Amino acid sequence: MDHHGEEEDPKEYRWETGYEKTWEAIKEDDDGLLDGAIADIIQKAKRKRQAQKTMQNKLGMMRHLYLMLDCSESMSVPDLKPTRLLCTLKLLEKFIEEFFDQNPISQMGLIVLKGKRAEKVTELTGTAKLHLKALDGLHKINLVGEPSLQNGLDLALKTLKVVPSHASREVLIIMGSLTTCDPIDINITIDALKQESIRCSVISLSAEIHVCRHLTQQTGGTYGAVLDDSHYRDQLLSHVDPPPAAQTQENSLIKMGFPHARQDEGKEKDPPLSMCMCHIENADEPSKITSAGFHCPQCHSKYCELPVECQTCGLTLVSAPHLARSYHHLFPVQNFTELVYNGQAAICYACQKPLTEATDKNVYRCEACSQIFCLDCDIFIHETLHTCVGCVTIPGAAAQVHARKPQAPPMGMLLGSSLGQRF
Amino acid sequence: MEKAAAENDDSGSVSLLVIVLDTNPSQRIVRQNPDNLSQCLDATVAFGNAHLMQKAQNKLAVISCHHHATDFLYPMPVKQLEVRQVDGQYEVFSLVEKTVKQRLSHIITNAPKITQPNESLLAGSMSMALCYVARMQRNAQPGVKIHSRILVLTGSNECASQYMTYMNVFFTAQKLGIVIDVCALDKSLSLLQQGCDITGGQYLRLTQLDGLLQYLLWVFLPDPKTRQMLVLPPPTKVDYRAACFCHREMIDIGYVCSVCLSIFCKFSPICTTCHTVFKVPGPLPPKPKKKKKV
Ligand SMILES: [Zn+2]
Ligand SMILES: [Zn+2]
Ligand SMILES: [Zn+2]
Ligand SMILES: [Zn+2]
Ligand SMILES: [Zn+2]
Ligand SMILES: [Zn+2]
Repeated sequence: MDHHGEEEDPKEYRWETGYEKTWEAIKEDDDGLLDGAIADIIQKAKRKRQAQKTMQNKLGMMRHLYLMLDCSESMSVPDLKPTRLLCTLKLLEKFIEEFFDQNPISQMGLIVLKGKRAEKVTELTGTAKLHLKALDGLHKINLVGEPSLQNGLDLALKTLKVVPSHASREVLIIMGSLTTCDPIDINITIDALKQESIRCSVISLSAEIHVCRHLTQQTGGTYGAVLDDSHYRDQLLSHVDPPPAAQTQENSLIKMGFPHARQDEGKEKDPPLSMCMCHIENADEPSKITSAGFHCPQCHSKYCELPVECQTCGLTLVSAPHLARSYHHLFPVQNFTELVYNGQAAICYACQKPLTEATDKNVYRCEACSQIFCLDCDIFIHETLHTCVGCVTIPGAAAQVHARKPQAPPMGMLLGSSLGQRF
Repeated sequence: MEKAAAENDDSGSVSLLVIVLDTNPSQRIVRQNPDNLSQCLDATVAFGNAHLMQKAQNKLAVISCHHHATDFLYPMPVKQLEVRQVDGQYEVFSLVEKTVKQRLSHIITNAPKITQPNESLLAGSMSMALCYVARMQRNAQPGVKIHSRILVLTGSNECASQYMTYMNVFFTAQKLGIVIDVCALDKSLSLLQQGCDITGGQYLRLTQLDGLLQYLLWVFLPDPKTRQMLVLPPPTKVDYRAACFCHREMIDIGYVCSVCLSIFCKFSPICTTCHTVFKVPGPLPPKPKKKKKV
């Protein structure tokens, strides 16, 4: 086979610059350059999760998650590069962005464990920016002493106990230490968490810790010990997907407000100037007096960004596409079938990449539309696009896809411009 | 090596334009006058070449959305057409024209006959465009930033059945930093307009094909950064409220199912989308007066 397939052959540049790839570029690369065995483990885990996803229908879409980060001495170990802490902070940045992207009306809070104490760094909130800022501040934290799992869990429990019963309650613990220093029997705390249906998951950066595994088993969470940084990334990002709804979770209809258009200054007939509520108590960025913003339909308080809970009347304010952002959780794309490549198709149906036995060990077939995809597209379709390209471009298959989805009102479900500005 | 040293900051960026051209014969403008399709095609090719002409590193892809399938018109996936090797870059331009026209006539000749108007699966074609862009971005040499946009040229009506696919496409484009531009050649398109808004693209509706190329060059040729400095058609006002699933009516306060996030204008004990039975609201919200319906 010849390979002047591409409009331009990138290979001649590749060998010149390949070795210059930075660490970060390698990180983003996800699979291409990983150690084969670990890449395999990650890929298998992904497909397994995908298969589980298509089987469950009730998810805890409104999540309240405490992220609990070990900041004890053990986090300074350089087995993850450059250190456990710095590697974690970098991955958490990505995690936080993805979390709010995929869970548009959820809340998160951050707890730090060090010197046998637990400290709340951010309260439960739906604003990614606050967490990212707090995360940034942790780069210079002193890593001292031992963590206390129990103190951390008790702190999370106190807040999660009182969140509305229709929301999922979760704790995700990142443990570097092999030990925990707890004031009393931790089983008392574990029982209380179980009682309140708080799902606790642990990612251990060292070896398996018995008490952590016990905690996850008792509360219905997941337990994982990481093999390397890419495996860590995968473990962490698996928590972006909403967990199955807890049995005790109450389903309800929640009253929400959809604020009117944000008006740009200068356009229309001058709207009155006003102050926003979100920045009113923020000393760093004081509230600006403008005519733009989102107004609570119930009490007319103004906010710069959505989603937000109105500080005056308590109404949750969102925009319709914010909600649409997570509808794909309800209609996941079925897993594709992994096939050994033997000429099933000349090119990948989605990205047009020429398939060859040398470069494509496996290809992937959608059982609904029978199209063949490359590995990269299999991942992209299931993790990002949430739409099988074959199923939505071939009229017969498309009709079936459309039949199972909630239909759009021709004029409705309209826009929130905040979407473009969230990060 | 020396070439690399002399690089200015501009050469580290590549602009990739993917044009999604609606070639469905069901479009009103095509049914009325089949020549309109050739006119759109000529404008597309000329516009694509104008994009390539702006900078040597620029890239182009053209996708046709036909009534039975979505196909790449340019570039060819494996082997490019033979164009007489003439020195200089102009051979690229004739390559684009030759490839696009040859591929499209092949598609049209081999397409099944249509007996009734078929919708254009534009959202699907856009999803294919995204996979292509994602591949180009994955394959980019380190240090090269690819600025990608998708231009949709269509005279079709909007199909609400593709709503979920459109939303998935818009959010994916936003996430990847891909701008969606839309040129509507017949009816106004509210869903695609949302895509432009979400991704920071430009929406333009033309009521006639005269001067199509001039409009394309004026509105869509400048990259999104440059556009801010130009006088472009004013944005159309968009509505930000939600429509309830039950009556498709615009509401500013509604009830959202905690399981599937469907939106309703009134409290009801069961979700019509996911069939979840709700707990009757507790003492906090005042109990709605029971209206007996006959
Ligand atoms: Zn504000
Ligand atoms: Zn309010
Ligand atoms: Zn592919
Ligand atoms: Zn499919
Ligand atoms: Zn209604
Ligand atoms: Zn529902």
